Amino acid sequence: MRFEPRDLIENNVSPGHPLAELGTLVAGLALVGLALLFTAWLAVEGAVRFLPASLEQRAFGVAAGAFAVPSDARGAALDAVLGRLARHWEGHGYALRLGVVDEEDLPNAFALPGGHVLVTSALLDQAGSENELAFVLAHELGHVEARDPLRALGRGLLVALALAALGGTDGSAIVGSAATLGELAFSREQERAADRFALALVAAEYGHVAGASDFLARLPDARPAGGAERAVSWLATHPRSADRVAELDALAAAAGYPTTGALTPLAPEIRGG
Amino acid sequence: MVEALVQLGVPLFLLVLGYVAGSIAEQNHYKSIRVRELRFRRMPTTNLRRPPVHWRIESVALVAGSTVVSVDYFKRFLAQLRGLVGGRVRAYESLLDRARREAMLRMKEEAAQRGFDAVINVRLESTNIAAPLRNDKGTAGVEVLAFGTALKLARA
Repeated sequence: MRFEPRDLIENNVSPGHPLAELGTLVAGLALVGLALLFTAWLAVEGAVRFLPASLEQRAFGVAAGAFAVPSDARGAALDAVLGRLARHWEGHGYALRLGVVDEEDLPNAFALPGGHVLVTSALLDQAGSENELAFVLAHELGHVEARDPLRALGRGLLVALALAALGGTDGSAIVGSAATLGELAFSREQERAADRFALALVAAEYGHVAGASDFLARLPDARPAGGAERAVSWLATHPRSADRVAELDALAAAAGYPTTGALTPLAPEIRGG
Repeated sequence: MVEALVQLGVPLFLLVLGYVAGSIAEQNHYKSIRVRELRFRRMPTTNLRRPPVHWRIESVALVAGSTVVSVDYFKRFLAQLRGLVGGRVRAYESLLDRARREAMLRMKEEAAQRGFDAVINVRLESTNIAAPLRNDKGTAGVEVLAFGTALKLARA
């Protein structure tokens, strides 16, 4: 028996560069993740498009109940305006509900899933005419019609899920900001669509669209205010007001709505009590 | 935004650090392993339980060598990704290859230092000495132990 000297044995490590392996794995997993995300996206779009209004209403009735729906004279007067506008929107299937948020400084309005429209008390206090208020309400109805609140909710949820999957528990911290950003990125198109819808409703109700853009002049970013927020128009929840006034005028002109006419005064009950 | 940068930046930094430090350490280690293996290549080392009959044995002793290895951040990340799809965990292969060879070398070095000529009945064992905690902190470590019976042969 003879002992054979052992030479260097280098066959215990699979060939290949670790960075190449990392690249392949990350790319492959990213592809799978994107495919999943895309499928989920389609599911959200489908759900948003085909969910019956009644079901949406039932699912989100509880959440909106947290906001004060005034049962006083003010609420009745607001409901009357909303009801007159909604008459021109046929077959919507929503039992529309209006809430007032106590906010003394910022005039604003929101649409929630389930056919709920919220306005801040500052908006009601500052409104110059019924036409102005009607345009804002009709604009939010435009969001309801396009199911934007539901879509935003679904997309926000998707982004949150994707980030949570990506970063484990660490992902939750950036969910908030990312979800909001995702919403903003597409909201400008939706704002334009809602504006178009609102102009049609207002024109049908009053015969003209005068006063429609008055509200935009009251929006915070139309006032001279400093800060990075103002500089970055893209980050604004709504397109810059000056841009939007011009867009509204163009839309009205294109649709042939009269831009002058008698403004309807605001019912005294609506103004702040 | 700052939060997001920190959340993405810290792991990214650790990945780069793990890769650079891990690669340099691995290259240097392999260089050293190859030099020492060639130095000891003529020392008979087998896993036979009995020495060849014609050997005249003067003395015997137990010799052993052990190494403990840990994973760097990059390798762990790579292995975790690999764990999702399966396949050869190349990141750990080189690590354990180094550990085995280093343990064998230390065993041979002990034998040589004590004046022995050969090692028989060599065994290799590995033990998980530290598992990562559930929250993914803590260190994953493996000990590789090589041991055998060193023989001093009588000169004819």
